[in-house]
Amino acid sequence: MEPLIQLRNLEKVVEAGPNKFYLLRRINLAIQPSEFVTIMGPSGAGKSTLLSIIGMLDGAWTGDYYFLGEAVHKLNVKKRNELHKANIGFVFQSYHLIDNLTVFENLEVPLSYKNVPHKERISLVCDALDRFHIVGKKDLFPNQLSGGQQQLVGVARAVILSPKLILADEPTGNLHSAQGDEIMQLFKRLNDAGTTIIQVTHSERNAAYGSRIIQLKDGWVVGDSATAGAHVGAAQPA
Amino acid sequence: MHIIFEDLRYGARMLWKHRLATLVCATALALGIGANTAMFSVAEAFLLHSVPFENPDRIVAMVNVRPQQNIETNPVSPATYLDWQTQAKSFEQLGAYNWDEVNLTGNHEPERIQGFDVTANFFGLLGVQPKMGRTFLPEEEQPGKDQEIILSYGLWERRYASDPNILNKTVKVNGKSFTVVGVMNKGFDFPMPAELWMPMALTVKQRAERTSRWLWVLGRLKPYTPLNQATAEMTAIAQRESEAYPDSYKGWRLRVMPVREFATTDITRQFTLLLMGAVGFVLLIACADVSNVQFARVSGRQKELAVRAAVGASRARLVSQLLTESVLLSLVGCAVGLLFAKWDITLILAHMPADVAKFVAGWKTISLDLNAFVFTLAIALFSGILSGIAPALLTSRTNLSETLKESGRGSSASRARHGLRNALVVAEISLSLVLLVGAGLLVKNFTALLKVNEKYHPESILAMNFILPELRYKAPPSRVYCDEQVLQRLSTLPTVQSAAMVSEVPYANGGGADIKAFSAEGHATRDRGEANTAIVQTVSPNYFVLMQIALREGRELADTDGDGTLPVAVISKSLARRYFPEEKPLGKRLKVGQAADESPWLTIVGIVDDVHYSWINKDDIPTIYRTYRQAPPLYASMVLRTAGDPRALVHNVRSEVGAVDPELSLYSIKPLDEVISDSIVGIAYVAVMMGILGIIALVLASVGVYGVMSYAVGERTQEIGIRMAMGATANDIQRMVLKKGALLTLIGMGIGLPVAFALASALSSLLFGVKVADPVAFIVLPLVLAAVATLACYLPSRRAVRVDPLVALRYE
Repeated sequence: MEPLIQLRNLEKVVEAGPNKFYLLRRINLAIQPSEFVTIMGPSGAGKSTLLSIIGMLDGAWTGDYYFLGEAVHKLNVKKRNELHKANIGFVFQSYHLIDNLTVFENLEVPLSYKNVPHKERISLVCDALDRFHIVGKKDLFPNQLSGGQQQLVGVARAVILSPKLILADEPTGNLHSAQGDEIMQLFKRLNDAGTTIIQVTHSERNAAYGSRIIQLKDGWVVGDSATAGAHVGAAQPA
Repeated sequence: MHIIFEDLRYGARMLWKHRLATLVCATALALGIGANTAMFSVAEAFLLHSVPFENPDRIVAMVNVRPQQNIETNPVSPATYLDWQTQAKSFEQLGAYNWDEVNLTGNHEPERIQGFDVTANFFGLLGVQPKMGRTFLPEEEQPGKDQEIILSYGLWERRYASDPNILNKTVKVNGKSFTVVGVMNKGFDFPMPAELWMPMALTVKQRAERTSRWLWVLGRLKPYTPLNQATAEMTAIAQRESEAYPDSYKGWRLRVMPVREFATTDITRQFTLLLMGAVGFVLLIACADVSNVQFARVSGRQKELAVRAAVGASRARLVSQLLTESVLLSLVGCAVGLLFAKWDITLILAHMPADVAKFVAGWKTISLDLNAFVFTLAIALFSGILSGIAPALLTSRTNLSETLKESGRGSSASRARHGLRNALVVAEISLSLVLLVGAGLLVKNFTALLKVNEKYHPESILAMNFILPELRYKAPPSRVYCDEQVLQRLSTLPTVQSAAMVSEVPYANGGGADIKAFSAEGHATRDRGEANTAIVQTVSPNYFVLMQIALREGRELADTDGDGTLPVAVISKSLARRYFPEEKPLGKRLKVGQAADESPWLTIVGIVDDVHYSWINKDDIPTIYRTYRQAPPLYASMVLRTAGDPRALVHNVRSEVGAVDPELSLYSIKPLDEVISDSIVGIAYVAVMMGILGIIALVLASVGVYGVMSYAVGERTQEIGIRMAMGATANDIQRMVLKKGALLTLIGMGIGLPVAFALASALSSLLFGVKVADPVAFIVLPLVLAAVATLACYLPSRRAVRVDPLVALRYE
């Protein structure tokens, strides 16, 4: 089966004066459709950076990146944005809802950028509100919701266009455990329904919801449960 | 469409949420847009609607110009006009007119009226029809058959009570009877400010005149003949004339111009363009202010924009959304600006004296019309885009992954934003400085015009115009007798210290001077390459004392200079300097008109100081003074020096004049300072408008400086906290903030000063009393600007020193 994501020798470098700092080194990964992948590692390991690159929010890297067989590394910004818009949904640790929009309007935002016709948009938003049991909150602004409710809206926004891939960066980082479990169960249900999920987390408990764990350290992949502990990086410094 | 609606809805919500910022921006834009709309309405009236008839595009005026004397529009001689009529092929027809102020008498009170002698085809050439009756017939151009007259609608309505049977009735003009053959339509007053038209009947002698220039020539272009083709043809004809008659045309050139341009005086056009430039500057400053506020607002929404991008918004989409908000803001400014403009126009129209307005082409058409509305909408959209484009482009260029991190900060884009915001403040300071200097110079010009007349204390002089009925006073001695009686009676009125007579008081008739050609015995004009021209004033001998005009050489005119004595003249210093540079003028002889004319030679007996008779001219105009006893006029002005309020004398003056002859006509009785202030009301308008625009610019620029500094302090709170934790004192912090503001101000002034200097150079060549290096404009005003900018920096700096390091170090 063709992988959903294939990374080959992917590297990310930042330059500070004469020095170069590698944020990611020689990343080689293949992620299949319907996987639930957890990226773990200490702070500064490059987890969020990798997630941004996979999510096509960051275009400044080297190496090969294939998404559904499409060579992302060869795409211009416009085409990359289109690919991202069509296939990827994001969930953030800080929810990142738009403060000045109601729940309903926040859910409508990704649809408007995809030029979904108005009627269809209303119907999709109503479906999402219904599915995530937040119909009663539709006219509230984010600051009128609890953290868990905000994240629920964040997830609803991420899935409203039925993306193939959901990227979640510490999705329960700002939630207490009960709310966190609720969100993770939601992810699990989405994954069971066929959506590929990649999450970044420090939590073993959250990682347990997934089917595969990738460990990062200092920009290197140092472990991947899919390869049963095999050394996946090409070479790791001593 | 739905997307636009959504953006508009969201934009409106954001504007409402940030009400204070919206209020500041909308006010700034309203001031800028309102000023532009009002000025557009004025410019449209002056530059586009300067003539009161339809389709003026194919009508051109042909005038003489004399570059070495800065004469930009001068009439042409009759012989020149007749040459053109026979030779020019580019025109359907050529016509001409001549200004002829006349005394209108008859059954009503005598009046001085602005009349014009016009060729029979004049009205047809302009494409206008009379309201009643007919226009002139070709045969009425012949001397002896020119006894017809056409009235303006205003004159017909005012003097003849809109008499429906006015046609074929007789009116008396300059003592001669004319038959009314037509009444023109309402609003037709071309050439400004015509109230009646008479046929122009050139005598054989006049038709041969080549050096006397007194005809204004108009032409209607043939269909499909462009102006440049007609200009080329006329230039060739003028060249042939110059070669055939070098003495008559030396130094003169031909200028062909559209009638719209011709109708608006150069000074009106220059001031209109100056004010258009000034309001344009104000709008740019307002846009810079709004742009700065937008930067601050949008910077606070970086995360929102990043989220939008993360959920699928393209950069173009983000830019369009931000621009929609910006345009929405400008439309709010536009709506308020229209109200401002309406108010401005009401003020502009309300404060113009009718006696002056009638001389300003297009004045009657000033209004907030559809064109002004479209213009306003266009500049509102332009302002919205201009003020929003930079914040939109720079803010939408964000590092998504960095911004979406918990403590993510932009770096390079943020630096670019700072750079641009600083540049905007620099631009605001420099534009404000240019405006302030321009305003300062205009105010200086206005005060100089008032000051130059202060020396003879015009506030204690009552001036009036005075007409003798021509038939009764046909004989010159009768005029002298009447004038003497009137002067004698007026001088004995209580509080009157003396009474004198003069043809035109300073700044009379809107400030233009009636300049006549003269000949100086033994001085051929061609030797000097310039025309001999001067104001010719007929005065009573005590005029110089009354007006406190000092005698420099020789003697003043005397009561003994009369009909039977040597014809004499007193000249002004400027005439002596210009026309007798290397010789003593006393004893030399002058003649008003050409040397060959029948008028008498006048022996120069004295030289007096100059009087600034025309505010339009920067320099004093050479003046010849004659005594009324040797050239008694039918029309003149009386001036009374009083010890009390001149207005209190009006009733007594009328009684005394009526006692001499009840048919004597007195009008425009007012203190001389009022004549002067009415005359320079246009300058006052420009000075006041420039002053207001300068103040607006100053306020907007200070708001801009305040906004940028305030934002910078907010952004640097953590840095300030660190500095304070490291030992920086309050003074150090305050100095750091003020230093940045001072640097921006200095750079702005450094850019603005050379531009202001260039403006001052241009203005000083036009305006009386204005020097290029004016200390007020170039020292005081920049200091005021610097002080205001410093104050605008000081307030944020106070906030900076109140930062608590403990709080600041937790600040994000």
